[in-house]
Amino acid sequence: MSESTFMGVDREKIDWCPTIDYSKCNDCMDCVEFCPHQVFEVREDQTPKLIVKNPNNCVVFCRACSKTCGLDALSFPDKTETTKKIKATRKAEKAKKEAGE
Amino acid sequence: MKCLLPCNGLDKCAGLVSGQAAVELSQQDDFELICPVLLNQNKSPYEKILAQGDLVVIDGCNTRCASKLAQSLDLKIKDKYNVSDVAKSMDLKLGKDLAVNETTKAVQKALVEKLTQTEDKKEASTFEMTTIDYDSFMEGKFVFKVPKQGFFFNENDCWVYVSGNSARIGVSDYVQQNLSDILYYDPPEIDDEIEQFDDCGSIESGKAVFEIIAPVSGRVTAVNEALQDSPEWINESPYERGWLVEIALTDEVTEDLEILHDGSSYFEYLKKKVAQDV
Ligand code: SF4
Ligand code: SF4
Repeated sequence: MSESTFMGVDREKIDWCPTIDYSKCNDCMDCVEFCPHQVFEVREDQTPKLIVKNPNNCVVFCRACSKTCGLDALSFPDKTETTKKIKATRKAEKAKKEAGE
Repeated sequence: MKCLLPCNGLDKCAGLVSGQAAVELSQQDDFELICPVLLNQNKSPYEKILAQGDLVVIDGCNTRCASKLAQSLDLKIKDKYNVSDVAKSMDLKLGKDLAVNETTKAVQKALVEKLTQTEDKKEASTFEMTTIDYDSFMEGKFVFKVPKQGFFFNENDCWVYVSGNSARIGVSDYVQQNLSDILYYDPPEIDDEIEQFDDCGSIESGKAVFEIIAPVSGRVTAVNEALQDSPEWINESPYERGWLVEIALTDEVTEDLEILHDGSSYFEYLKKKVAQDV
């Protein structure tokens, strides 16, 4: 199982996982071998063979698998935008809590 | 003297650029060329120059063949470059075409310029860290240490230690245990403006590359130059001698720190994380 929160925010509310560019990917599976979090799934005999199965298992702000991809086929959301959203969500939740209590 | 080890990958444009840049540089007095294919066969023709000079690796892409070759031969990498990263930073794309064109020329030129630049290094400030008290726990044969006070952590396992208007950044014991022997530290540029959670450099072991995720925003004022010669300090002393970056803080620091873990909360977080890993 993965963490269910990241920096105090529900993981499900954060949009962060690799996107595979199928025009570049050659199914070498180096990324799959590298990532210990079961983010990817390899489907034998299907096209595309490689998919992002569990996006929420991906560690927010990690981009490590893209550093193993020689073809530069993996991309990630914009960090600044993601950070902004995390902070905004935290604030909103804090305000909600305070209003409720 | 610098010994250049390009990947010289023949089937990718980026690999070709690495080779061509190395050949171009080797026309200058201060550079010696190493052929990766011959080196892989036999180290001895290069032993003399390697003993005299610093090894500079030029990888074409993230497969990092040249880095991996150096690592497999236990050669100390003094500095390294990645053609694809250089192209990316210039907003250029190296296509599949293997022919020399305007793009490959531009990237090659930028790479050669980077390699011939003499860096203006800034001295680390007189940063004060008080004596550190550690908490620790064991999992299997590994001991994980976390400082009790003064440090804050993000969930990407990077720490920050604030002192007045500046701060030091580094990685936690967890990162260094996971990567095992750290062989190379790639620092950010001095004066880089970094937002919280931006990456500020990376560290690399035989296993992987780890991006340093900044716990707070700020401007880079110094990097730990000593790690260029002794990257193993990050393994030996991740919270002290193995610090990575020094930054000047911004006004947002209170807000930044608010969302981080303090020592005791990171200690609990890490315990859970390590337990899940096994
Ligand atoms: S490492 Fe890159 S090329 Fe290889 S399978 Fe993953 S995405 Fe595709
Ligand atoms: S970014 Fe990190 S956690 Fe996410 S899929 Fe890649 S290696 Fe796994």
